[in-house]
Amino acid sequence: MALDLYQTAAQLDAATAHVGNRGDERARNMDIALATLRGADAATLNARVDAAQGTLAFLPAEAVEDPGVTHSPGPLPDDFTVLAVDGSHIDVNRHLPLRCSLINIGGCRLTYGAAPNAHMFSKPSLRTSDTDLYLADPASSASRQPVEGALMGLVRAVQEADALADAVEEAGSDLPTLALIDGTLVLWELGGDRYPAYVRSQLMGNGMLAALGRLRTMAQQRTVAAASYISLPNSSEVSNLLRLALCDYDPMGDCQRHCRAFIPGDRHCDAVNEFTDRDLFSRTLAPGERSALFASRSSVVRDSYGDHRVHFFYVNVEEEIGRVEVPAWVADSPELLELTHTLVVDNARRGDGYPVVLQEAHEQAVVTGADREAFAAMVERALEGQRLPVYTSQKQRSKRMRYV
Amino acid sequence: MTTNNQEPNRIAEVVETTTTGFTAQCYELYGAPALGSLVRVGDPAVYAVVHNVTTAALDLGRRVMARGASEATEEAVYHNNPQISRLLATHIEALVVGHDVGDATKYRLPSSPPRIHGFVYCCDANEIAAFTDGLDYLHLLTSASTPAIDEVIAANLRLAAESHSDPDAFRIRAGKALAAELASDIARLNAILRGIS
Repeated sequence: MALDLYQTAAQLDAATAHVGNRGDERARNMDIALATLRGADAATLNARVDAAQGTLAFLPAEAVEDPGVTHSPGPLPDDFTVLAVDGSHIDVNRHLPLRCSLINIGGCRLTYGAAPNAHMFSKPSLRTSDTDLYLADPASSASRQPVEGALMGLVRAVQEADALADAVEEAGSDLPTLALIDGTLVLWELGGDRYPAYVRSQLMGNGMLAALGRLRTMAQQRTVAAASYISLPNSSEVSNLLRLALCDYDPMGDCQRHCRAFIPGDRHCDAVNEFTDRDLFSRTLAPGERSALFASRSSVVRDSYGDHRVHFFYVNVEEEIGRVEVPAWVADSPELLELTHTLVVDNARRGDGYPVVLQEAHEQAVVTGADREAFAAMVERALEGQRLPVYTSQKQRSKRMRYV
Repeated sequence: MTTNNQEPNRIAEVVETTTTGFTAQCYELYGAPALGSLVRVGDPAVYAVVHNVTTAALDLGRRVMARGASEATEEAVYHNNPQISRLLATHIEALVVGHDVGDATKYRLPSSPPRIHGFVYCCDANEIAAFTDGLDYLHLLTSASTPAIDEVIAANLRLAAESHSDPDAFRIRAGKALAAELASDIARLNAILRGIS
């Protein structure tokens, strides 16, 4: 047995006993956090964040409305379309005899109303050329980044956004349309200095923002909202914003100066600090309702997203609290914002708590373990067919032929 | 799922094939011919009798979930979940009962089975009358070990009788042919004969 489940179970018992012991304290903190959320004023909190600029040790959201307000979904249109795209990939694998990768983009378009219809597609693209396998600096051919690991994930995210714009274009429908991506709209990994400027420019300006720009252009001609949906979100930007409501130091929000020596749990803001946004909104949102609208203050959004600045809200889809992210041009349009909210709730209801259009896009995109093995075998067969040398690592070989 | 608008009799496509039978995916959900129907596939034609119809999820790894608790009608379940008809498929299983060799029809197994992706056609009345003019194919059906094969044989002969100008004469002829095949199993013979009349 590779993983000793008996030992793991004993460790789990000890860990969960510790969590159970904190139940009372957590309930007290939740009462404080909910009272803070319900009484929070957007202008006051935003001013506190602005005043504490640069001294906060955490990332708060910007409140577009008072954080405690809630909204019911609008009336469902008689006829409408919901579209989604998802992606999966096989990364470059040095144990394979050919340097290559594969991105599979899957999508689904569902039309509801008088003429219901469904369309599904998947489009695999094999990546073998240098332009596929490296992002090169246009100014210097000597500088290039291999497209693997985290960068592969970013390239895929950009392709998903591009495929979503393609799908809306191809649908050519005049019906109110919601175009959904699975996960976040924010390319978090492009923040900071992790990647050189030419990588950021290719993936952001010519990638994600270009795709969002195409969607916005279509939205100017017909009713199209673009959004992304995150199931079981783990973010705490709203919770972090509420920490500013509890901080009573002067100057406020200077974490390094006042709280450097505190043990987490003893700080004034710790009553909300232990909760994610999902924890809070699971107590305040009735089924179908959405939270107030917030805007991201993350550096990557601030520095790069411009007119597409990412906004978000939380929504109770009955089975869970989901997070919906929208670009600014959706957030600024009450019609598109309400359409996004209403159709996410409706589609999640049809999908037993998760938007059915995302479920089906995922099913079209998914690359299973068996697919990966079949892909590796196909690469070898293709090389053998060309009478090219096929060499795979001994590690790869041993995984395929397990023996005692 | 694709649909076929070019040839109305073309109803399915072979997705699994063996010497004695094949499985075909219907182009339309619930678009299977009646149990016992005569179908043909390939050129020269291989003839087969539908002995089983299945409708299930296309992806066998995904279970079909009940979705109608809050719907008023079964039709509303499909109307409000348009993806369903793309995720389900109807398959037919058919037993091979003969094949064409030149202008003649042979009531025995072909030397090789129909090909995967072979187009499956429902035989029209003329084709059924011509094929069932001979009844030697009943030997292949009566010796098959598929479940409820006697029901399939009775259904096939009922449908075939409708394609003949004198259905009663056909039923009598078919009864005699069955009696020759099942002389040693009177109970089984009687059960099938009751199903024909």
